[in-house]
Amino acid sequence: MGIAAVPWRADVPVKIFGIFPQRKERNTLWRLLFILYECSSIYRYGRVELNIFISEKEYKVLTAKPGELRIYQALSVLWQVGCDIQLLHMEPWSSFLTNLKNGRLAIPKSTRLPNDHLCLVRLTPQQNLFTGGLNPANSATFIFMVKQCLTKPRSKLTDRLNSWSLDNADKLLKALEIPEYIETGNVYPEDYKRLFCALQNSSVFTESWFHDEVLESIRNINL
Amino acid sequence: PEVTINKVELAPLQSTAVEHPVPKQSSSWTEKLKKEMYIRQMKVEKKLANTCHKPRVEEMKQDVKAQKAQRVHEDRSSQRKIMQQTIQSNLECLLYLRQPEEAEKLLLLYHSNPMKRKLLNVDAYNVVMRGWARKVWSFWGPSAAVILVGLGPLVPGFLIGKARGVLRPNLDSYAVLLECMTQSQSSTKAIWRCVQHLKKDGFHVDELFQKCLFEGDEKEKVLKAIRIIQPDYQLPSPPKPEICKAALLKNFYSEKEMVSYPKLDFTVQELRERFQQQLEMELNSTITIESVESTKPLTPQAIKARQQLVSFRSQWRDAILQALQKSKHNMSQVKTMSGHSVLYPYLCLLPDEEYVDIMMQTLNSLSPQGESLAVLARELGSKVYNRYLTQRKLHSGQLKKVQEIYEKYIHLLAKDTQPSEYLPREYWEKLVAEAGYGPSLNLKDCSWPYVLLMRLGMYLLEILVHAVKVPRNTLNPRLPPKLIPVLYHIYSFRSSWQVGLIKPHPIFSQIVSDAAEAVLTFNSSAIPMLCPPVPWTSPHFGAFVLSDTKLMRYVDGAIQHQQLLDQCPQVNLHPVLDALNQLGNCAWKINQPVLDIIISIFNDKGNEKLDIPPPVSEAPKPSVSPSSSSALHKSQKHELLLCKKKAAEMHSLRMDALYKLSIANYVRDKVFWFPHNMDFRGRTYPCPPYFNHLGNDVTRAILLFAEGRPLGPKGLDWLKIHLINLTGLKKKNALQERLDYANEIMEEILDSADHPLTGRKWWMNTDEPWQVLACCMEIAKASRSPNPAAFISHFPVHQDGSCNGLQHYAALGRDLIGAISVNLMPCSVPQDVYSAVAQQVEEFRKKDAEEGLRIAQVLEGFIGRKVVKQTVMTVVYGVTRYGGRLQMEKRLKEIEFPEEYLWEASHYLVKQVFNGIKEMFSATRDIQNWLTESAKLIAQSGRTVEWVTPLGLPIVQPYYRIKPTVLTCSMKPDTVKQKNAFPPNFIHSLDSTHMMLTALHCFRQGLTFVSVHDCYWTHALTVDIMNKICRQQFVALHSQKILEDLSKFMLKNYCSPDRESRALWQKKLMEQLSNVPKTGRSTEWELQSSEEVWK
Repeated sequence: MGIAAVPWRADVPVKIFGIFPQRKERNTLWRLLFILYECSSIYRYGRVELNIFISEKEYKVLTAKPGELRIYQALSVLWQVGCDIQLLHMEPWSSFLTNLKNGRLAIPKSTRLPNDHLCLVRLTPQQNLFTGGLNPANSATFIFMVKQCLTKPRSKLTDRLNSWSLDNADKLLKALEIPEYIETGNVYPEDYKRLFCALQNSSVFTESWFHDEVLESIRNINL
Repeated sequence: PEVTINKVELAPLQSTAVEHPVPKQSSSWTEKLKKEMYIRQMKVEKKLANTCHKPRVEEMKQDVKAQKAQRVHEDRSSQRKIMQQTIQSNLECLLYLRQPEEAEKLLLLYHSNPMKRKLLNVDAYNVVMRGWARKVWSFWGPSAAVILVGLGPLVPGFLIGKARGVLRPNLDSYAVLLECMTQSQSSTKAIWRCVQHLKKDGFHVDELFQKCLFEGDEKEKVLKAIRIIQPDYQLPSPPKPEICKAALLKNFYSEKEMVSYPKLDFTVQELRERFQQQLEMELNSTITIESVESTKPLTPQAIKARQQLVSFRSQWRDAILQALQKSKHNMSQVKTMSGHSVLYPYLCLLPDEEYVDIMMQTLNSLSPQGESLAVLARELGSKVYNRYLTQRKLHSGQLKKVQEIYEKYIHLLAKDTQPSEYLPREYWEKLVAEAGYGPSLNLKDCSWPYVLLMRLGMYLLEILVHAVKVPRNTLNPRLPPKLIPVLYHIYSFRSSWQVGLIKPHPIFSQIVSDAAEAVLTFNSSAIPMLCPPVPWTSPHFGAFVLSDTKLMRYVDGAIQHQQLLDQCPQVNLHPVLDALNQLGNCAWKINQPVLDIIISIFNDKGNEKLDIPPPVSEAPKPSVSPSSSSALHKSQKHELLLCKKKAAEMHSLRMDALYKLSIANYVRDKVFWFPHNMDFRGRTYPCPPYFNHLGNDVTRAILLFAEGRPLGPKGLDWLKIHLINLTGLKKKNALQERLDYANEIMEEILDSADHPLTGRKWWMNTDEPWQVLACCMEIAKASRSPNPAAFISHFPVHQDGSCNGLQHYAALGRDLIGAISVNLMPCSVPQDVYSAVAQQVEEFRKKDAEEGLRIAQVLEGFIGRKVVKQTVMTVVYGVTRYGGRLQMEKRLKEIEFPEEYLWEASHYLVKQVFNGIKEMFSATRDIQNWLTESAKLIAQSGRTVEWVTPLGLPIVQPYYRIKPTVLTCSMKPDTVKQKNAFPPNFIHSLDSTHMMLTALHCFRQGLTFVSVHDCYWTHALTVDIMNKICRQQFVALHSQKILEDLSKFMLKNYCSPDRESRALWQKKLMEQLSNVPKTGRSTEWELQSSEEVWK
């Protein structure tokens, strides 16, 4: 790209402007997440700022708050932990040429969320992303943990933790000041990060089956 | 000009888009875009206005609506059926538990809700009434069940007429009512009135005994009631057996001088003992056998692990039992009929310990990689169902009846009895009729819907996950001894969708693998039968003694096949049932010397080249230790992953082989049978899943016919030709040349037979090494016997179809050139269609090369049989240019074709292969296109493609677009699948018809016959006869007007004349279906003289 890589905590080295193909929008967002947490590809150069058009429904997912059932997903948590998300502009779909070859409209349907606009969104990676124990090497485990928690947002966080053979889930939650009976869909993104960092210090991720599974999940992404 | 529906729908959509208020911020470029859009849209609208008249658009819209309405309707009706099935099984379940009060409560619950009441059918009411009929005390009092229309007046003091006009009592209702009346000692007058009603509804008293399915002493009770009003009533004589009238089998069934049924080499007493063994095995529902790995010496580590496992298992058993009982107790406290408690009755069907057994079995057989939640749940659910069914068969007396009939049935097969010319099905039916059982040998249909099986399974799985725990420090004493779950539930993400998985904890997997346990547990239906299978007499009865077996295999949740089979006149199924019985009655034994060699290699280190999977301990090890994944480089992670993947694959291959060999070893000294059923196209399969003659080279090599026959004058030659066929050599040579070649290499053959592992190992470098070895041994024994013609051989000789799909097409289309190349027409040398196509393609290439086409020049010297074979073979199965090109690319890569031309060359070749086939099989493509197009239109009209084989088997293609949820089934036909699959499925159905015809006629000639789809097996002595029958039946099959009949059937089915068929799509469909493709000159069609259908 003809630019020099800068340390993560340095200022934004480059700004990118773009738009995603609608059909693979969700996949692209996931892909970006992985390279962000891995500090690979464009994020090798530092905290690259993205200014991109995404559909309104994905924007809503990215910025969903805990408790918004079915909208608040693993994608929401990971993006909110990873980036500062800023809405720059909303433009109705009608402003865009959206015909497909067969004459149908290329706007993806959405039932649960409004999808009348394309949103220009600025995604700036957090300066303090890799703090408190999270680093590019173990971030895959973090992603895996969040995904496991949020496939069933109505399940209890303690149940999840227990099923990972954690010795004293309730004590840990108390120490982190997370309510003991909270559902995974109500946990704040930053709490997930704190939880992860705390678990890093216990033996959960190294001595249980967890790391095998993380490896497996990496395979599903990269191979 | 035609206008597509899409565009019509588009217009209104776009015009609303324009009305959108323009946002104020919109910049100039968006304005511009908008203008362009508007112009485009105007154009579209203009075009529409010009090209079509208004009424036509209207008409088409209506068409679309009508189609949609129909689809929605079908959607609902399938959903409704599943709901009805659920209600039915709930009621049956309560009936079985002898809780008629609960059943009635449930019925009333539905009855009181006008919406839900519509789901109730007569059978639901009948079940509840039956419950009361079984109670000893008077039925008159509390039963509100008899709210059945029409029966009201008969039964004083009931909620009469609530459902009047909605439901009519059926024959079963009257049977139950009469039973109730006997039970409650009703007055003569009441019974008389009941019978009057029965007659008024158009039934006959005799029908009660001819059609109703009775359990236990129900029949006697009904008879008692009838005899109260009609003391001299005699049971109707059983109906005369109907005779199948299929044109192809007219002679087969009506032949006066029938051949007697071939006897087995067993006495009645021996067969009876074998039946007892089989019955015991099935009553236990599982069987534990010794693994072939058990001969390995035990390490101290293994001894320790085994001790650990034993103590863990007893702890787990207790824990599961406790958890189950606690959960059941909680359920019984809740008094609603919603949610989990619907499952409660299903948890009472068996003793608690049996549920625990089932769960423990699942735990023990879980692979270290885990298993999908859905698969495990279904497995658990159906295990409960099967045990329940066994219990029902025991309690209802059905088993006793089957036992009684089977003991007599043996007389047809045993060597020390009078010969008889009945077919197994006919004989069985005769015995049933003589015993006066009528249809009641069948259990009343009580299958559980898929949804229910899944829910039950999920529930049991949940208990398993929560209850089974292991101390964390089991393998590493440094850790605290906290209990952790053995199973965990995680999600695996595959591209955009996630799958729930149940995985065992590595600790558990480690102990299991350390223990290397020497036993394996199987469902009893996984083991071949130890006595001749129960003959198929209806779609609901046959195969195993107790284990429920479906006549037709289908995907879970599909009910169409079963419905079709039930609806069609049972006599039409006779040929298919008889053919299946024929295949199932073949007795087998184990080729022990070969099995021993295979086991010795298996227990040593395996051998990938010989298809004996090595143990996982031989798997490649990663170069780094996988201790801390976070510290690894990407490439190291990659390597680690590859190793893990390889190990997982090896594990599953190894287990598969272990199962097969262990089962084979278990039956090594026995004679055994494979009961058969079929898939939805009529292709037949043996029921036991692991070890059967359809398996790979290894399993085929260890199977022999139990019956031996002398080789006869040509038998040894056939063995030799068979051997050469198995090696894959001399494909293009005539039979005589193959025989000569075999004689030439006789020394190698004998060396292989005598020193398989220490000699020159000629057999190892052949296509099917293990079968070659087995054949070498047989040839060695035969040729060394003093009189080879008298040598008793048990060896199956195979005869392959040369390219069966193409044969059928060539015959359907009466293609002359095509027919010659697939050996349908007389010719001195066996023709090889692949070589012929290759030759044709080569001619095209030469021409193109001369004209200067670059790629044709590059390809010089590369075109051969091998390159085109796969594509030619798959053309009949509808391979597309896209898939064909990929195949070509692979083949070209194998022969080291220059990489830079790969894409172009494969593209060119696939085009030429298609052209070549078109040239040779001119009608084939036409027929394929006709089938495809017909299927497309049928599917688009919202129906699934159905047809009937020339033998009368009804077939429906089960391809639907199912919404991606587990527990509901909303179904629309999947047009793409329906259309693409129709031609191959149709050809498969013809193929299976041909096989069944051959099977039936082989039996008439006293031959042993089994099939692996288009590969037919028999004794060496009878190969010639089988070949003759096979040809005759092929000719007979294709003398039928197959395509015309298909067209007629589909016209009748999809374009009923009574329906207003003015709609455009219907006209189009009708036109398509009646337009049968033209075929070649049938006068030149003289198959009879052909000598070489098979090679």
